[in-house]
Amino acid sequence: MREIQKIFVDKEVLSFPLTKRIIKRCPGVPAAVVRNKQELDVLLASSTDPTGEGKKYLWLSRHKGAFVKPCPCTPHYVGCNYFVINLALNCPLDCSYCILQVYLANPWITIYVNLNDLWTELDTFGREKKGKFVRIGTGELSDSLALDHITQTSSELISYFARKSKVLLELKTKTTNIAGVLDRPAAENIVLSWSLNSEKIAREEEKGAPPVEDRIETAKVVSEKGLPVGFHFDPLILYPGWEEDYARVVEKLLCSVIPSRIRWISLGSLRFPPALKPIIEKRFPSSRIIYGELIQGKDGKLRYFKPLRIELYQKIIALIKYWGGGQIPFYFCMEDTEVWERALKKTPRRKEEVELILSPRLNGSKSMASKSGPSGY
Amino acid sequence: MLKLDFGEIRIEGMRYASLPLAKINLKDERFRTSYFFSLERLILSIEKAGLLSPPLVRQAEKGYILVSGWKRVLACRKMGLPSINVLVTEDQDDLRLFLASVHENLAVRELSLVEKAEVLRTLLKFGVPKNVLLKSYLPLLSLPTTGVHLDVLLCLSRAENPVKRFVGEKEVPLPVLQFLLRFTPVDQKLLLPLLLPLGQNKQKEILEDLWDINRRDNKPLRNILEEAGRRHVLGSPKLSPQQEAEKMRLGLKRIRHPQLSSREDQFNSARQRIRWPKEIAIHPSLNFEGEDITVSFRFKNEKEFKARLEQLQAMARKKEFPELLSR
Repeated sequence: MREIQKIFVDKEVLSFPLTKRIIKRCPGVPAAVVRNKQELDVLLASSTDPTGEGKKYLWLSRHKGAFVKPCPCTPHYVGCNYFVINLALNCPLDCSYCILQVYLANPWITIYVNLNDLWTELDTFGREKKGKFVRIGTGELSDSLALDHITQTSSELISYFARKSKVLLELKTKTTNIAGVLDRPAAENIVLSWSLNSEKIAREEEKGAPPVEDRIETAKVVSEKGLPVGFHFDPLILYPGWEEDYARVVEKLLCSVIPSRIRWISLGSLRFPPALKPIIEKRFPSSRIIYGELIQGKDGKLRYFKPLRIELYQKIIALIKYWGGGQIPFYFCMEDTEVWERALKKTPRRKEEVELILSPRLNGSKSMASKSGPSGY
Repeated sequence: MLKLDFGEIRIEGMRYASLPLAKINLKDERFRTSYFFSLERLILSIEKAGLLSPPLVRQAEKGYILVSGWKRVLACRKMGLPSINVLVTEDQDDLRLFLASVHENLAVRELSLVEKAEVLRTLLKFGVPKNVLLKSYLPLLSLPTTGVHLDVLLCLSRAENPVKRFVGEKEVPLPVLQFLLRFTPVDQKLLLPLLLPLGQNKQKEILEDLWDINRRDNKPLRNILEEAGRRHVLGSPKLSPQQEAEKMRLGLKRIRHPQLSSREDQFNSARQRIRWPKEIAIHPSLNFEGEDITVSFRFKNEKEFKARLEQLQAMARKKEFPELLSR
């Protein structure tokens, strides 16, 4: 993980509690109060790798738009009715395949510090959902926990959502940064999830992220403390030896974490917009993942030829079932109905149908269906 | 309107003179901006109307260095003229003289990509920093002001002459050029005959596939091309350059996308087995990513329309029909 070298504070948010907390928790890191982002632009203008360089800088600012949005998914594929909270943009990890390299307008890490606005917005969001079951997470445009030792926002989020039993909050990470999470009492509607991959891919393509074994060990600790956990095998990547390598990870996972405590496992394979290819080639010249048999999908993104994806999913699912994970709800990220049908024997046509698969289970966890939170969740 | 401030470029101490052509040293190319051109029309013009606009030269220790007017001087030489009317300057500021030459050229014609690349390289050689090239000279040359464009053009200026000639003659667009220049000079030469007969999209496809295979399999380019040649046989032992290039393109596609190619073969052979009528087009979804298959046909009247429908029904009745739909 890249070390933060400097903090830039928007003058407008200097007095916000989260700003003060972040500065306090970064002793020795210089902080500068600025009127706008121009200073960051100037700092990175001469860099030969602004994307990598930008990860060293924090920009503390006020979020003027909506924090909560429906997960955008991708056109022409089946979504999962997920909502995202954008508390931060960008991530100190440096994964070669990360779409944020082309998705975000700025290379630095932005943290929105106006949390009071977030709570107000979440209250409104809850009232609008009128007690419907909702899955929501912070890991879309950043890693949920990679900077939690600095921001400590996870414990605030947990405190807020622990009372909203119709909402399932997912904190998605590749890290072992869980002190803030363990700080709070376990709640059935707070799910900690990890992105998993083979050790080879983690080592070669996920710069700054802990080994997969460490992630699984951390998940074990968390689940033993009573928190439900989730896992994302995403992006699955084909290379000579992938079957053996993924088999080892699945075995390790299901021998470490009790399957009944696993709320879901999602599967997705390598996919990215064509514009990311030259960026990966330039920033990660030793990476070979972009030379797999990738074709242009219905959404214009490059992804493995469909029979290869189906084979990949079938084998991973078979492995999970073999190691006792047959009852764990599975879903695919950005796949179409044919893949669902052929790899999972399920045919959801709409995201609401995927949502049903992921609704709280009676098996191994307390049902949340009959509970209702104070603000209408 | 494009507004650029380069300061005043005024050459000092100019006079008219008539010089023996042999006194102009064409080996000194420091001010050259014209590359890969034809002299035929210019020679015709000089024959009919004479040389109306004199080239600009600078006095050197021995003879003269040509500043502006390469085509004119070369045309006169080719015509065997003993002497030429020129403007002689005593100005010793190379950058100023070069800029004057660039401006003179830009005023009367569009510079090719190779010529623009040479201009940028010369400016760099004369001490103009890269950020100034980016900010001031890329817009002057009607080029996008990005570091990527500057790097590609500087790379082109270092390429060997056959590559430059190819780029100049084929009016290769920047994205194709970028792909080509990633290869080593030796590989670039190997690729030129393959690329010459093809259009830009196919050139880009070949270059991208070759690069990806080279990186994926860690094999030398020559070996990949040999393998691609073996993978696709068009049937005729003697192929035109265009057929040869097309054969290579399809062979490379098979190596780059083996599963997709095999699925395409399967679909095409099922279409042949079923004797699909040529009047009706049938296409799977792009890259077989969707489950849908598209059928289309044209008709002029009811009779033709009904005939097509009957053909389609006949196809659907054939026992081989499900092969077309198999996934």
